[in-house]
Amino acid sequence: MKYDTDPFTYEVIKDSLISTGEEMFIALAKTSMSPIIYEVLDYACGLTDRKGELVTQGNGVTGFIGMLSFMVKETIDKYGEDIHEGDVFLINDPYKGGGSHLCDVGVVMPVFHQGELISFVANKAHWTEVGGKDTGSMSTNSTDIFQEGLQFPCLRLFDKGEANDQIIELIETNVRFPELSIGDLWAQVASLRTGGGRLKELCDKYSRQSVIESMERFLDQGEKLTLNELKKLPKGTFEVEDLIDDDGITEEQLNVKLKLTITDDEFICDYRGSSPQVQGPINSSYTGLVSSVRTIFLAITNSNQDVNDGAFRPLKIITDERSVFSAQRPAPVSMYWESMLYGNELIWQALAPLLPNKLSAGHLMSVCTVIMGGKHPDKDEDFLIVEPSVGGWGATNERDGDTGQFCVLDGETFNVPVEVAETAYGIMVDEYSMRTDGAGAGKHRGGPGVIRSYRSLTDNQFFTASFGRHKTNAWGADGGHDGSNNEFYIEKNDGQIDGPFGKYNQYKLNKGDRVVLKTATGGGYGKPTDRNREEIELDIKNGYITLEQAKNDYNYSGAE
Amino acid sequence: MRVATDIGGTFTDLVAVDEEGKITVGKSNTTPSNFEKGIFDVIEKADISFNDIEMFFHGTTVVINALTEKQGVKTGLITTEGFRDVLEIARGNRPDLFNVKYKKPVPIIERHLRKEVSERLNYKGEVEKNLDLKEVDGILDYFRSEGVEAIAISLLHSYKNSDHEKEIAKHIERNWPEVHVTTSSELSKEWREYERTSTAALNAYVKPIANDYLNNLEEKLKGKGAGKNNYIMQSNGGTSTFDVAKMSPINMVESGPVAGIFGASILGEMLGEKNLIVLDIGGTTAKCSLVENNNVKISTDYNLEQTQQYAGYPLKVPVVDIVEIGNGGGSIAWIDDSGSVKVGPKSAGAEPGPISYGQGGESPTTTDANVLLGRLSLENFESSTDLESIKKSFQSKLGDELNAGTDDLAMGIVKIANSNMLNALKLVSIRKGYDPRDFTMVAIGGGGPMHSQDLARELGVKKVVIPSTSPVFASWGMLMSDLRHDYSQTLLAKTEELSFEKINNEYERIIEDAKNTLSKEGMDESNIVVTKSLDMRYVGQEHTVEVTVPFDEMNVNNINEVIQNFHENHERLYTYTLPENGTEIVNIKVKVLGKIEKPKMSKEKRDVGEKHLGRRSVFFEESGWIEVDVYAKDFLDDTDRVNGPAIIEEQTSSTVINKGDVLTKDSYGNMIIEIGGLSNEI
Repeated sequence: MKYDTDPFTYEVIKDSLISTGEEMFIALAKTSMSPIIYEVLDYACGLTDRKGELVTQGNGVTGFIGMLSFMVKETIDKYGEDIHEGDVFLINDPYKGGGSHLCDVGVVMPVFHQGELISFVANKAHWTEVGGKDTGSMSTNSTDIFQEGLQFPCLRLFDKGEANDQIIELIETNVRFPELSIGDLWAQVASLRTGGGRLKELCDKYSRQSVIESMERFLDQGEKLTLNELKKLPKGTFEVEDLIDDDGITEEQLNVKLKLTITDDEFICDYRGSSPQVQGPINSSYTGLVSSVRTIFLAITNSNQDVNDGAFRPLKIITDERSVFSAQRPAPVSMYWESMLYGNELIWQALAPLLPNKLSAGHLMSVCTVIMGGKHPDKDEDFLIVEPSVGGWGATNERDGDTGQFCVLDGETFNVPVEVAETAYGIMVDEYSMRTDGAGAGKHRGGPGVIRSYRSLTDNQFFTASFGRHKTNAWGADGGHDGSNNEFYIEKNDGQIDGPFGKYNQYKLNKGDRVVLKTATGGGYGKPTDRNREEIELDIKNGYITLEQAKNDYNYSGAE
Repeated sequence: MRVATDIGGTFTDLVAVDEEGKITVGKSNTTPSNFEKGIFDVIEKADISFNDIEMFFHGTTVVINALTEKQGVKTGLITTEGFRDVLEIARGNRPDLFNVKYKKPVPIIERHLRKEVSERLNYKGEVEKNLDLKEVDGILDYFRSEGVEAIAISLLHSYKNSDHEKEIAKHIERNWPEVHVTTSSELSKEWREYERTSTAALNAYVKPIANDYLNNLEEKLKGKGAGKNNYIMQSNGGTSTFDVAKMSPINMVESGPVAGIFGASILGEMLGEKNLIVLDIGGTTAKCSLVENNNVKISTDYNLEQTQQYAGYPLKVPVVDIVEIGNGGGSIAWIDDSGSVKVGPKSAGAEPGPISYGQGGESPTTTDANVLLGRLSLENFESSTDLESIKKSFQSKLGDELNAGTDDLAMGIVKIANSNMLNALKLVSIRKGYDPRDFTMVAIGGGGPMHSQDLARELGVKKVVIPSTSPVFASWGMLMSDLRHDYSQTLLAKTEELSFEKINNEYERIIEDAKNTLSKEGMDESNIVVTKSLDMRYVGQEHTVEVTVPFDEMNVNNINEVIQNFHENHERLYTYTLPENGTEIVNIKVKVLGKIEKPKMSKEKRDVGEKHLGRRSVFFEESGWIEVDVYAKDFLDDTDRVNGPAIIEEQTSSTVINKGDVLTKDSYGNMIIEIGGLSNEI
């Protein structure tokens, strides 16, 4: 490939493009109204070339890595030449255009320089509310998309710089916390404008041609890097299967399978034969699956690279139509990660034995989402918690697993501090501790899961949660034992226990009732009997395992 | 006589000033196994009599070293029942998003040394469950048996009510006076239990070490007849006495690096420049910071060891806001897997250093590129290397693969280095809503004056100042510093339903506290300056914006001015306002300065010598190679004007004056470069 721009100027332009993505990302977090955005960082910002190929993306979570470019491509497909400077498009359609669930709302803006289209900037963020049957717009028992909230099928929100107030009014009228949703929408638009401004400055400085050429060159470099890494991977075909807990409506487990083929220049993930789309809301959109596959693909090929669509050119993803990984209207999708994560998990399981330097044993494998709301005891207002939970990660060939980390589809995600939670919400946290159940024994031990409890301080609160990997455990590797599962139960004020559950929609809680959330301990790595004595003794001293477990699992003979 | 010493990685620097304002500088090797040796060496080398030392200022890396090398003492934690794992669970984030083998920071206190007491406060600070000190006795017995030397106490909601923490601390002091105790609320009164606990734990972890160090130094200074007034440089750009520093040594964590930034703000004050962008280019990194209205910017969002791939350990103590990037004179140029040219963050360091040093360095660095472009002379380094061998290594390491000649290669490296630094400079200025055209740049460190003019021009900065004491600027900054303490108290309240009585009382209480500390440090009330501010946000937001409160008391008449000020700051930072949303206060903040009388400055006494060293070829991007005049910095005086293009040489560095720029020197020896100054006159 021959380029007109010299390698040094190219480097400067490329760095500026990357920092533009990062800057858009920071701008959104700092102005958002929703904890799910500013604390959990459940959003992504990026820019694409004129054709919608992702050039650079600022991420808070990995789960959006496949979505921005599809959003832009959908906009181009729908509007073609009818795209003008100052336009902003609003999109959350789950079945096309980079959709996941309705809560993840995207905005797309074309960037023009002296009248010529040079790029698109886009971002996608989790809104706390988009309407629908349940507060928080996520349910474990919805049976079609219409119960899950407002659908934005790529609408023109700004027409040449003029906001369409009617759309905004429609949103305000149909969501439960309009100040949050609309506040976040403005934050998203401000972030787009920041990005657009930077791109124009860059064209002013280095010429439009150089900037456009540098985008293409960056994409080509991404592909080249991936091809180099593919050459180092084991070649062949690998097959694995696993079970999704259930669809939230019935108790039946769902089979999912992968046939993975790696060649010198392709990485083909074939999910055909997996469960068809189901009645409950655990269906994943195809772009959800793509994001999930891309995440583990990067972990395997090159986790440090600056992410762009070029890096994914060698990746092929195949599904049946209308499968649990490629749902179509009107399948419900609000808890889509419960199947989306398996796209990632199956590849992880297939390759963990072959790539011990890249992959750990199994981790908690669920976002473990909690949605809880009600009255604050001291304020005349409602509160709403929407948050993921931390849990245990698997051990690796070198060391014990981490405790208290979010699942792989989260990322630069932060838990809500107890002091902040108790101030903002009508609850008290009685415990935030490690779940030292001793599972995940191994030469290297799985990281313990976490226990967090919420005690209601007012009557008539509600609690919804989806904890996947409830009916199965996090898996061990290379002779390491399996970890544990995710679960929660309710301890009523009178001491009665209800549960454990993996999913529950709108459980009613009164003052003094407590929900106890327990996430999985990660899988162990290597045979427990190979763990050295000092480490076992320190584990007992630190309360990670009991003396009994040391004897049973590790063959520990007692203090000398 | 006032003396400042600053222990750096390689050298221990000294700056002293006597009653007439005469400045003495000195440098000696740092002696890692026994830091005070380096201090006494440099004092003796500078021929300073210990008896003459009235005030002794000190910057030290003893705390940061103990932290990064994990060489603190065995530490125990006492916390609220149900929460001993907060330190290990931390915040759950994974900055290295696509690395499934990410390793989060290991807590510095092991689980069996994290103990719980069954007390509990609610979010309002009210007692839900009383403290039972008998539980503490059992914990202390265990800590004793384990050989614990320091204890951190961090209880839930102690930022709101610190009584239980204090009771436990007192109880320990009564029963085990030898052990070092730290409470979280004495260091931070902001919410977020993990961050506050981490701060307390790390303070406890280094406290015995810092105490030994300071006691020892104090004793030795006294033994030699010095040490009447001893001050330690803190991370907030001010100083404290040794006694206060011993209580909260964690405040020394960035003791050295901030002194240079602070020095720049003082220099700005002397020159009548209120708004500064400070650029400090060293061997391995470049640091940028912004000074507005003579105030250095402080934040409490510091994370020890944090990188883009690693979460690090949070420290909620006031630290000067610095953006630091891995781009210095010694940064190595290389080609990555994708064929891209990179500069840094890997550095050739001091040894072997750049190729130009002639000490065996083989990797092309920014310094070498500057040599090849004629900006630096090999004579600067007393080096045995010649240009040819530098060129050869540039070609073999980079040129062949990139298909570029030596000139383009060297210029390309400087361009990329400048671009990296420009991004950092923008982060502290434009990206925070400041217009660089309203700022003057102060360039320090060995590499500063070589790059500052290019960068200033890119940013639109009109004036660059290169201080006369540039090589030991951090120590000079310390000499000019004041006692300083910062306080922040979380107090969540919507401005529309604010109780003025409550907030004014809170301010009064904090200021009282602050004055007590300063008076213990020997400060007279008349020299104390108090500045109040608030962290505010729109209701519902998380991130806050700091707003000053220039009133003795807040009341219904001036609250709107504060809110208006918040809207303006929000707009500057984030380009928009949400006036209909309502605003709330998150933290109330107080900064107190105990003003120390500044030493007199005397005018530069110049040696006389030949100013004009001759002419040499220098490469500029626009013009290619041209012959320019070369001057000796030491022999220029305050009547000289040098028009660019030109080079000003000094011992280990040089200043590049671009075409159109004009350099003058003031009577104190500072060099001042007007960017585009020549065209202004024509």
